[in-house]
Formats: sequence, C-alpha cells, structure tokens
Amino acid sequence: MGYKITAKEDLSPIDYFVEVEAPHVAKAWKPGQFVVFILHERGERIPMSVYKAEDGKVGMFIRKLGKTSLQLYHEYKPGDELWSFVGPLGKPIKVKNYGRVAFVSDAVCGHAENRATLKVMREAGNYTISVQTFEDREKVYPTRFLAREVADEYYLTTLDGSVGIKGHYLDVVRELIEKDRVDVIFAGGSLRNLAKLAELTRPYGIPTYATVRQIMVDGTGMCGSCRVLYDGEVKFACRDGPVFDAHKIDWEDAIRRNYERFSEQERLAKERYLEYLRAKGVI
Amino acid sequence: MPKLIKERVPTPERPVEERVKDFGEVNLGYTFELAVKEAERCLQCPANYAPCIKGCPVHINIPAFIAKIKEGDIKGALRIIWNDNTLPAITGRVCPQEDQCEGACVVGKVGQAVNIGKLERFVADYARKHGIEEELLCEFEEKCTGELGKVAVVGAGPAGLTCAGELAKMGYKVTVFEALHKPGGVLIYGIPEFRLPKEILDHELAKLKRLGVEIKTDHVVGKTVTLEELLQEYDAVFIGTGAGTPKLLNIPGILLDRIYSANEFLTRINLMKAYEFPEYDTPIAVGKKVIVIGAGNTAMDAARSALRLGCDVTIAYRRGEEDVTARIEEVEHAKEEGVKFLYFVQPVEFIGDEKGKVKAVKFEKMEPLEERDSRGKRKIRPTGEYVTVEADTVIIAIGLEPNRIISEEAGIKTNPNGTLVVDENLMTSVPGVFAGGDAIRGEATVILAMGDGKKAAKAIDEYIRAKKASA
Ligand SMILES: Cc1cc2nc3c(=O)[nH]c(=O)nc-3n(C[C@H](O)[C@H](O)[C@H](O)COP(=O)(O)OP(=O)(O)OC[C@H]3O[C@@H](n4cnc5c(N)ncnc54)[C@H](O)[C@@H]3O)c2cc1C
Ligand SMILES: Cc1cc2nc3c(=O)[nH]c(=O)nc-3n(C[C@H](O)[C@H](O)[C@H](O)COP(=O)(O)OP(=O)(O)OC[C@H]3O[C@@H](n4cnc5c(N)ncnc54)[C@H](O)[C@@H]3O)c2cc1C
Ligand code: SF4
Ligand code: FES
Repeated sequence: MGYKITAKEDLSPIDYFVEVEAPHVAKAWKPGQFVVFILHERGERIPMSVYKAEDGKVGMFIRKLGKTSLQLYHEYKPGDELWSFVGPLGKPIKVKNYGRVAFVSDAVCGHAENRATLKVMREAGNYTISVQTFEDREKVYPTRFLAREVADEYYLTTLDGSVGIKGHYLDVVRELIEKDRVDVIFAGGSLRNLAKLAELTRPYGIPTYATVRQIMVDGTGMCGSCRVLYDGEVKFACRDGPVFDAHKIDWEDAIRRNYERFSEQERLAKERYLEYLRAKGVI
Repeated sequence: MPKLIKERVPTPERPVEERVKDFGEVNLGYTFELAVKEAERCLQCPANYAPCIKGCPVHINIPAFIAKIKEGDIKGALRIIWNDNTLPAITGRVCPQEDQCEGACVVGKVGQAVNIGKLERFVADYARKHGIEEELLCEFEEKCTGELGKVAVVGAGPAGLTCAGELAKMGYKVTVFEALHKPGGVLIYGIPEFRLPKEILDHELAKLKRLGVEIKTDHVVGKTVTLEELLQEYDAVFIGTGAGTPKLLNIPGILLDRIYSANEFLTRINLMKAYEFPEYDTPIAVGKKVIVIGAGNTAMDAARSALRLGCDVTIAYRRGEEDVTARIEEVEHAKEEGVKFLYFVQPVEFIGDEKGKVKAVKFEKMEPLEERDSRGKRKIRPTGEYVTVEADTVIIAIGLEPNRIISEEAGIKTNPNGTLVVDENLMTSVPGVFAGGDAIRGEATVILAMGDGKKAAKAIDEYIRAKKASA
C-alpha cells in the first residue's frame, strides 16, 4: 500500500511543497508533531514537519538538500506514491492562552510550523505574532504559503532587505522584547539561530520553545539516534520532543550531531545521485 | 531402550572466511538424513516425565515430534510442534535451547544433549520447502471465519503475531497495528540476517495473511490511533509492543559521534540495509576499531554485524566469561569469527577527538567477588584502577526497556521499570486490554513472547465470549 502524492509545487528556488494522502496521519496530527516517510523500498526514514493536515492530506515544506529530498523533487509527481508514511510522532505543543505568542522561523521546517502553530494559538485566544525570515526576495514563498493570515501581527524579513524588513528574526525579537510585547516564543528553522535565540531570550526569562531537529531512524524512541542533552539529561528528540525548552538544550552538541554524523556518506550519496540526474538529462 | 550415542550429529555451517564477508545465514541446518540420524539419539522419554518438555517454555511435545522425524513423517512432526508453537523456523534458530529443552535433556547428562533446536528448525524448513506446510494450512484456513468478533493487536513482534494467529484460528477477525513500516519486531529490526533470514519471517507473515490477519504498518498506537479508539471498534485489544527503548550509559561523552545504541546500529543495518549503502539510502558510519559494551544476544549481534562491515571488534563486559548472557551458539560463532572479549571492565567515560568523534573509552577495572546475586551471577566491585582503550566506534548493548508511548497515552498501570502490570490472565489495568511479551517482562525471549501471545489469545476468547453472553 502506498501513499499518493496529491500536490507538488515550488515554493522558491530552494524549497518545495508536497502534499500526500495519509488519512491515518492527518486525522490525528497536532501542531508540534512530525511525520516520517520513506520514498521507496530502498529509501531512508525521513522526518518532516507538517505545514497542514486537512481532509486526509498532509502537506510539507521540503528543502532541496540531499539524495532523498532531491529524488522526491525530481522523480515524483502527483499521482505517484510514497512507500511509507507514519505519524504523527512526537509530542504536540501545549496550546493554551499565554497572552502574546510569537512564532519565529528562518527555514523550511520552521516556516511549516509557523502557520500551524499560530492558527491553534489564535483559536485559543492568544494574540499572535509571526516572523518569517528569508535570505532574499527570490527565496520568499508565495503569499498563500506564508503565516500572515493566522497572525495578528506579521513581519517578513530578508537578510539583504530586498523585500520586507532588512534583518533576521533575531532582530525583530530583540525589538519585541525591548517593547515588552511578547510573552512566549516558539521557533523553528536553523539550529544555529535557535541557539542564538535561546541566548537572546534567556536573560529576560521569556519562555522559548524550539523544534530540535536531530537525525532520526524510527522516530518513536526505539533507537536513540536523536538523543540530545536536555538539562544535563539524555532525552530523545523524537519521543520527548521535538519541541523543547530552548534554554535547557545543549545546543553545541545538538548542532554538531545533526549536521556532521553522516556528512561524508550524505555527500557521497548526493554526488552519485546528481551524476545520475545529469546522465538522464534532468539537470 | 535405544543405545545412547554421546556425540551430536553436527549441523553444517558455512566456513568462517566465507561467512564474515556477507550477511548470509551461518548455520545451514540438517539435511533429511542427518536429521533422522540425530533424531535417533533421542531416548524417547515418556511424555509425563520427559525433562525436555518441562524445560520448554511452551511445553512442545518434543519426544513425540522427534519420533515422527525418525519415522520420516515430517507432516506429523509439524502438526505436533504447531500445537504449541506456530513459528518453529524462528524459535528453532533463536531460542536459547541450552537453557531450556536441551539444558534438561537426559542425554545431556552423559554426553551432548539431543540437538532439539536444530531438529525443530529442520521440521519447519523441510515442511516449508516441500509443500507440507501448505497442506496443513489449508486445514486451518477453513476455521478462520472471522465471525466470533474483532480483536486489535498492537505490535507485530513474536508476541503480537502469535496472538493474532491463534485468534484467527479460533475464528476472530484480527487487525495488527505496527509502528514500523515492516512487521516482525526484533525479528526484523534486531536479529541479523545471518541468524534469521528475512525470507523466513516473510513466509510466516504470508501464512498469517492466509489466516485472514490484516497487518496495518505505519500505525503508532497512542499517536496515530489511541487505545480508546481501538476499544470502541474492537471487542478486545492485545498489546505486544516489546521492550524497544535502549538504555544508554549516563557518562561523559555519550553524545559523541559513532557511539550507537545497539538498536540504532542494528536497525540501520537490518531493517534499513545500511550495509548496502549507497544502493540503499540509509547510511552507517563506522571506523576500524569497534568496542561493543555488553554481552547479551544484542551485543553478539552488533559485534558480528560490525565484523561484517570489516571492523576489528572487541566486546567489553563488566563481568566475567561465565556470566555472558548470549546464546552459546552465538558466542561460539562470534569467537570463531574473530570477535575479541575484554572482561571485568565498566565504561566510565567516552573520549572524543576535536571533531566530536569518539576515539577511546575509559574503563574502570572490576573485580569479581565470591558472593552471588539473586540471578546466580558473581557480584563485582570497582577497583579504582582505570584503563583506556582506543576505539573509533562504540556500540552500547546494555539492555532495553519498554517504550512508554501507549502506557502514557492510555494510563495503563505500569511497574517502575515501565513494564505493563497484568493479572494472571494477562489483562492490564484497562478492562479488555491484554498484554504480553517484552512489554510485560522487560527484555526476555522470543519463545516467552510467543507463549504469552498464545495464553492471551485464550484469555481474550474467554473474555469476549463472556462479554457477548452477558450482553
Ligand atoms: C522533527 C524534524 C522535522 C523536520 N522538518 C523538516 C522540514 O519541514 N523540511 C525539511 O526540508 N527538512 C526537515 N527536517 C530535516 C529532514 O529530515 C532532512 O532534511 C532530510 O532527512 C534530508 O534528507 P536528504 O536525503 O535530502 O539529505 P541528506 O543529504 O541525507 O541530509 C542532509 C542533512 O539533513 C539532515 N538529515 C539527514 N538525514 C536525516 C534523518 N534521518 N533525520 C533527520 N535529519 C536528517 C542532516 O542535517 C543532514 O546533514 C526535519 C527533521 C526533523 C528531525
Ligand atoms: C538484537 C537482539 C537479539 C535478540 N536475540 C534473541 C535470541 O537469539 N533469542 C531469543 O529468544 N530472544 C532474543 N532477543 C529477545 C527477543 O527478540 C524479544 O524477547 C522478543 O522479540 C520480544 O517479542 P515482543 O513481541 O514482545 O516484542 P518485539 O519483538 O519488540 O516487537 C514489538 C513490536 O511492537 C511495535 N510497537 C512498539 N510500540 C508500538 C506502538 N505504540 N504502536 C504500534 N506498534 C508498536 C514495535 O515496532 C515492534 O515491531 C533478542 C533481542 C534483541 C534486541
Ligand atoms: S529429554 Fe532428551 S532424550 Fe528425553 S525425550 Fe527429551 S530430547 Fe529425547
Ligand atoms: S529516532 Fe530513534 S529514538 Fe528518536
């Protein structure tokens, strides 16, 4: 049994959107939770944040990054099937009335969660603030994929200032804090910036929750691949997270483990795959 | 009384030099002639006495099936085994027979015990290859009407699969919910191909399908569906979720690269076929010098898998050789294949290089005492002396505990170690929800998990009958 792709679309030159029919997952998913899919019989188990889970379909934002994400982008089209699709995994975030809730993001997985999180936060009576950072004008997503519609206050920033505010979400957060305009911050995207965000909010004691991406295998707490140090204790990102109190995560180790564990193998697989695409004339 | 032959008929094995280069099965099993010869060593102790039957956790009528082999009636032998054990091709390969049936066998008191495990395996393999199983299955199929009621089974390991098969044969409609993309539990993600070829598991699964059992993979109960939802749709639920959470050492350096839990290492290799990377997409990264910590079956499997990736492998254990808990056959195979052993050492720190990769393990030396603990193992104590051993890859195999996804979600009563509390009928604190296998025992064995699955099936049948009668 496979899981049919129902939509696929470019978001920017580096990111794309894919929607998959998976009613068992869509029915149960809550913001904060993720999914794991496998493309084909020889594929890897790939964790992914969820942009939207409605009508039996699960939508995801994916970066064109390595072997798997490139293969899904180049070789799979609507109507094709993914081999496996499991979820939702991880713990949902706690939705309640915090007051003024901000979600800040600067990369695919964060942008995916920005909209979904703020949607439920707004329904719970919060004042919602969304900040989305992109590199430049070219990389900004089409408007209907942005979190604007679920935010009472919305900031689009680009690093080069080619559209929106010039700067990073960190700059916007600094201002929000100075003006005492935020009660709790949720965040996703690049781990390095999440670490910076944690340092930024720590002195003010602003509760900050971040999606901690780690290399996963099963995604259910069975393998320990995704372990992080949290408050000095070993936790599993897939089971105890993936959203954690950003002030208690040992970021240095989390960043290293996520990017370097299999970097040699990943590079090899990507090169081989690009060669294959070139030979077929796809790129 | 037949003449007592002290020596076992050996089973053919692939030569060491050949087998360490691939993941193909090591032991090749008996041929028909060899099996009959080995069967003739059995003294045919009367069933009410036979110590082997008592030693078997599910009490297979061992002398009876061995007698059938002697007669050349493999169908008869299979029928007898199936009475108590529906997965003989698996248990014949992985049971710790030396502690069970073979450990009790009277021939073993004067010579080598009858090779019951390999005979069991022979019956299963022969029956599968010669269409005998097919004939027996057809008899069963008729009974599988699915009319008595609906049961949900959570987890497709040996406990869940056995429970599902038994219930199907009784006439229930069974749906198995499995978190992973493939059913089998430890049999698929943990135990390597060289001990248990996947085609054997595939065959068992196909059999279950024939009996009308439906397996829904990619379903995590407690996440994808809740237990409460299952209880609304099914007459009863069986939980066979195993003990899948790895224990890690709480010592400095645990986050260094190339330190794996045995579960991660084995899952990447067995379930995801990382040894065929990049033909398969899941990577594995190992260096040249591997230390495996622990000395159970999991440690042996990890060590021998690492060996097959071309590594130099040492097993480090905090106790001595006599307390190694793995099956004897695996320990012997590991030694033959070149795995080294380091005893009486307890890791206290993992030392890393500037890139965050492990480069050595610091151990404290341990010292055995005369005193024994409740499990009969010699107690040990730290000496205050340390030794540092170089290693560029470490695999931690010090044990597993139950995954708490379901108990947390559904509020099922658990023991402090996470195992589910059950009554004598294997019913949990939630009425209509039964459990068995590693989920209630902690790390145990395949045959005990199957025994629970079978016992629970009987209890579930009674429960549903009573429930329907009073409705
Ligand atoms: C909870 C969670 C949510 C995520 N959400 C998104 C998302 O919304 N969009 C998105 O594009 N990516 C997301 N990711 C990351 C995504 O899983 C990886 O980008 C993907 O596995 C890359 O695979 P690849 O073969 O294309 O690249 P590879 O070349 O294999 O890997 C590139 C990088 O991706 C990461 N990665 C690789 N394998 C894994 C793995 N098995 N598990 C986790 N990370 C891995 C590593 O940082 C690695 O360096 C998420 C990861 C986690 C853990
Ligand atoms: C590496 C290794 C080697 C071993 N070698 C031997 C051996 O040689 N001989 C022997 O007798 N025993 C051996 N054992 C022990 C034996 O494998 C276990 O005792 C046995 O598998 C337990 O069976 P089970 O059905 O209870 O659980 P498992 O086999 O663990 O199966 C549980 C299943 O439930 C699934 N699951 C878990 N949670 C959920 C959920 N919430 N929803 C849906 N599905 C879920 C899991 O994915 C898994 O498939 C070994 C164990 C390991 C790890
Ligand atoms: S104890 Fe040994 S000799 Fe006696 S019946 Fe069992 S296998 Fe045969
Ligand atoms: S991915 Fe295996 S424990 Fe988290």
